[in-house]
Amino acid sequence: MHRVLAVLISVLVVTMSSASASQAAERVWSGLVMAENVTDPHQIPSELTRIEGLLKRFFGYNDFRVIGQSQKTLKTGQEDWLATSKFFALHVDARGETRGGYVLNLKLYKEKELLLETETKLSKRSPLVIKGPQVGGGQLLLVLVVQ
Amino acid sequence: MKTFEENWTAWLDDELSGRELLEFEASLPDKTAAQAEKAEAKKLGELLKRELSVHRLKNEEFFSHQLREMIVQEGGEQGRARGRRSPTSSWWTIPRLLWAGTASLAVFLICTVLVLHQERPAEESQYLTQILNARVDPVVSPNATVSIFEVKQDRATVLWTEGLQSLPADYAAK
Repeated sequence: MHRVLAVLISVLVVTMSSASASQAAERVWSGLVMAENVTDPHQIPSELTRIEGLLKRFFGYNDFRVIGQSQKTLKTGQEDWLATSKFFALHVDARGETRGGYVLNLKLYKEKELLLETETKLSKRSPLVIKGPQVGGGQLLLVLVVQ
Repeated sequence: MKTFEENWTAWLDDELSGRELLEFEASLPDKTAAQAEKAEAKKLGELLKRELSVHRLKNEEFFSHQLREMIVQEGGEQGRARGRRSPTSSWWTIPRLLWAGTASLAVFLICTVLVLHQERPAEESQYLTQILNARVDPVVSPNATVSIFEVKQDRATVLWTEGLQSLPADYAAK
């Protein structure tokens, strides 16, 4: 009887501690992605594997290449960071944590020119994809994922 | 040779006879007092016989007596068995407290899971990323429009822009 009790209590403690630990800090991946149609597509970057089907189906491209990225661990929910490529910059400004996600202000710059601004409630379970400008024969996409 | 006490007891019980009786009565210092004492002893004996004789039980009394004895016996055995199991038999022993605590936690977790499960459909939109507002620089892209798609199949949100300024392929550089 004591053994069963000990096991039950251990399971409960581990479950509760892991649950609270999982809420401690979240990592947000933000990337500038070039989507193109090529004859010999590359393997999709691991950060995009989760939404590969959506990207291909929704945007109609078969090749996705990360041209700029940034990973940020959110502790206070008030951090800000930049994901840059040679010509583009995505500025992410976290403005607090909400139930199940973060409020983020996103600004896409082409060099120093602001192209697009949006405010979003990024869910921990739901990625965000933003269709950017046409670049050559492809499309610039902005992707944000809570990992 | 009998002692005086043995002869006295035998005389009280009328067990002396013949020469023995005559000799013993002759040896008594005060025969009248001895006779009175003998009479008192006999009275006491009769009283004791009458009061202390075995009282025969009637049938009903016999069975109820038997039942009472069985109940007392069984009660004693159960008490001893309980005593063997838990020498300090108090309900809130530490194992019972632990069991109660564990059971309460389990019930709490089950209730939490059930409540969350019931709330999920109503709060489904909270699990999808929401676009609060979006704007395109009207100077750079005057004809640009913005649309929002929530793709529940992939649990993703797409902010779809149209009419943004197109750029040459050089801008795809890392």
